[in-house]
Amino acid sequence: MIALITLFVTGLITLFVAFTRKPLLVGIIATIGLIGGLFGLMYESRYGIRLFPDYHGLNFDTTAVMFSFICIIFTTLLVWTGFKPLTENENHAGDHIALMIFSLCGALIMTSFTDFFMFFLGLEILSIPVYVLAGMKKSDALSSEASLKYFLTGSFATGILLFGIAWIYGSTGSFDLLEIKNAILNSTHNSSLLYVGVLLVLASFLFKIGAVPYHFWSPDVYAGSPATIMGFMASVVKIAAFAAILRLFTDTFDSISGVWGPLVLGVSVLSMFVGNLSAIKQTRVRRLLAYSSIAHVGYALLAVVTFDSVETTTYHYNVYYYLLAYGLATIILITAENIINDESDDIENWVGIARKNPILGLFIIMAILSLAGVPPMMGFFGKYLIFSQAIYDYPYIVAIALLNSGIGIYYYLKLIVKVLRKPYEAPKFDKLIICSLQWIVLIISGVLLLIGGFLLLLF
Amino acid sequence: MELLILPLALSLVSLIIPKSTRRFAALLGALASIVIAVVHLTSFHAGAFVELFSSNHQTFFRMTYQMGYDGLGLAMILLTNVIVFVILLANFENVNIASNKMFNSMVFLMQFALLGVFTSFDLILFYIFWELSLIPVFLIAFWFGEKDRKRTLLIFFIYTFIGSLAMLFSIFYIGTLTTGNYDYQTLVDIEMNTKTALVVCMGFFFAFAVKIPLFPFHTWQPETYTKSPMAGTMLLSGLMLKMALFGILRWMLPLTPEAYHCYKYVIIVLGLIGVIYAAVIAMKQNDLKKIFAYASISHVGLIAAGLMILSIDAFTGAVVQMVNHAFVAVGLFLAADIIDRRLGRRDIQTLGGIAVKAPKFAFWFAVICFAAVSVPLTSGFIGEFLLIKELFTDNAWIGVLIGTTLILACVYTFRAYQLSMYGKESSFNFNDLTITEIITFAIISIIVVVFGIYPQLLIDLVKPSLETILMTIKESSI
Repeated sequence: MIALITLFVTGLITLFVAFTRKPLLVGIIATIGLIGGLFGLMYESRYGIRLFPDYHGLNFDTTAVMFSFICIIFTTLLVWTGFKPLTENENHAGDHIALMIFSLCGALIMTSFTDFFMFFLGLEILSIPVYVLAGMKKSDALSSEASLKYFLTGSFATGILLFGIAWIYGSTGSFDLLEIKNAILNSTHNSSLLYVGVLLVLASFLFKIGAVPYHFWSPDVYAGSPATIMGFMASVVKIAAFAAILRLFTDTFDSISGVWGPLVLGVSVLSMFVGNLSAIKQTRVRRLLAYSSIAHVGYALLAVVTFDSVETTTYHYNVYYYLLAYGLATIILITAENIINDESDDIENWVGIARKNPILGLFIIMAILSLAGVPPMMGFFGKYLIFSQAIYDYPYIVAIALLNSGIGIYYYLKLIVKVLRKPYEAPKFDKLIICSLQWIVLIISGVLLLIGGFLLLLF
Repeated sequence: MELLILPLALSLVSLIIPKSTRRFAALLGALASIVIAVVHLTSFHAGAFVELFSSNHQTFFRMTYQMGYDGLGLAMILLTNVIVFVILLANFENVNIASNKMFNSMVFLMQFALLGVFTSFDLILFYIFWELSLIPVFLIAFWFGEKDRKRTLLIFFIYTFIGSLAMLFSIFYIGTLTTGNYDYQTLVDIEMNTKTALVVCMGFFFAFAVKIPLFPFHTWQPETYTKSPMAGTMLLSGLMLKMALFGILRWMLPLTPEAYHCYKYVIIVLGLIGVIYAAVIAMKQNDLKKIFAYASISHVGLIAAGLMILSIDAFTGAVVQMVNHAFVAVGLFLAADIIDRRLGRRDIQTLGGIAVKAPKFAFWFAVICFAAVSVPLTSGFIGEFLLIKELFTDNAWIGVLIGTTLILACVYTFRAYQLSMYGKESSFNFNDLTITEIITFAIISIIVVVFGIYPQLLIDLVKPSLETILMTIKESSI
């Protein structure tokens, strides 16, 4: 709660400071606010303090704190990596950062809601700033297209969600998750009203995380929006949505997992195949990342369906850890995109990065290897956690998922080869300009990716 | 622990050492790692198990840091360290590569990964090191390889990676059969029925068969060996394929003895096909590197087949032959590279008459060739004799067929030797061996001959641990 308020106030201050048109000031305030939010979160969870003891709309339990924690960290990293491109336009020096922080507030609500009111509120607070941010480059037609596309499809998803909530309310008579859970448990015969509602809610979620068959928006939106915003959508928005999925489906609707479980499993497999197979032929980096992120959503969904075979918190950790690894790798690649800073976003722009700047090349390769799930990167441990849990129930699905990792290595490796090979315009080429904030982001995420797997071994 | 930390440290240090002294420092570092391994050897009692690192602490991943070595592991550690030294020495003259910081760094990283593979007693740890070893060798081949290497290397990486994923599936699957960790003893103690064991061993088999490579999974190998730089080829043929053979011995057989009778003849027959098929292809090749690549498939086919005979002689023969093949392969590829570096071509039809211009080279090349065809007094003879004897005892027909490797090896090795070294004299210049090259050849030859005359040195070291492994397998396969 402290974190949420801190962040919201930070967002407001940032927005007003932006009027001064001093990007540096905006950046400093945003950073202080984000780190303050982080400390607020830790303080609250450490000492179990509740700011408003009577208020029960939000509950920052362990899962919520975990997910909020990485949401805030990722937003901070993204603000730093995108600081230069985001503040390039003097007229909008601070509003983009402010919007990201507002969206983060929504993400925090998504991780901690206890009833459908707060959930819907969180979802909207999360989404609306992102609709705006996707269209940040106003002069760019693709960016406007991305914004409009995201807004229209997102509105449909919201509509479906509301419809679903209405059905659930109709069958259980409550918006509160705990009451809904009890209503489902106590009734011997659940009406199909409830099932329809759950499936509609599920559909809107699958839309938010960009899983097949609701994935059509994501490559266009990812490719059209600025790199930093793409990173935000791929990491923070997805993490928040997954946190909400865990809270809703594996906690509230767990007793009717027979209804949604097979569907999620099917979606998971489809997402892996569609994502990986489509990514092979991509020639633009962000489209490739978009398709690969569809595949990663597929892997992560596998953890959601295997919840009932394990003790309650394990699968939360599995999803959490997987998304952490995925988000860190994405942020490194997004930073690289920001550094290259090329409108065309062609994969050929990545040729020879390792020659132009070996350390940047090293970080990029680490990130790609992590996405591909090659040990000792963190991505491997994420996959390991999910698959070794899922194999108890679905050995065949795990075999399929591993096969998909095999498909995935093809395009990841092609990207690595591009990064490693000689630049075309050798021997003279432009130096890549990397500002100190971007170095900090690269080092933090890179080191975490490398040692993250082994850090967790100590627990 | 210093066994593993030293290569990792060297890998980092070689990035910051100034260029002029880099190759000397690398040699010195490799020498130091040999010394450490030898120190471990002197305090080692045959049949003992030495723990390098251990923690029974149950982690989030159900993974433990169980590392250690028995006789077999120590033999492989020594082999790795010596071969890495030989590889660095073989590349010493090639300043472009030897003075490159990334090259040295990657070789030591490779050494680290290999030592990890040979000392892991936890399956997840084994897998991590197994996969880690793929990255440095890929990068070495990518940075220093020949033209048009990208496609080949993509195929190589994807092929082996998919093989490893199959193993990963087996690892996950075996994890469902126990509530304990993935450490060696827990996994060996698992009782499974034949069907489960077959599922588990399929994954291991695929991963190892790709890396060895066994007959139908070998397609990546000749191209990759040809397109890689010499150091990459040496690492691949000398060490990486030993990882797979070691994996069969350490993990696949003891973990899935219940399915042993199902896959025994599959692997023997695949090995047999590989022995003859690759040898026949090697006879028709003109590229020196390709000849030796196919020769490598042929040689390791025999080792893989021999490992399937559950007897101490077969296992010993396999280990001796693994050590022998590592040195011989490095020697052969060094010879091919010397010709390539001096003349810029390796096609044996265009060579000829080198022996007249470079008598020293002709001599040392001949020594390596004799070792490659396993004449008596070389370690190849001991290894192949034991392997063929055991295969013959098991099934006379297989023994006879696989015995043809002795003849076929002579044909392709000496065809390559004859066409390149003798024949009509050509007009090109060919500088004779330099002193480092002679030293390299001499080290290889001495080791091969010493183990050929007195193999007991090696056998005493590995036999007790092989007996333990054999006991484990036999207990549950009956």
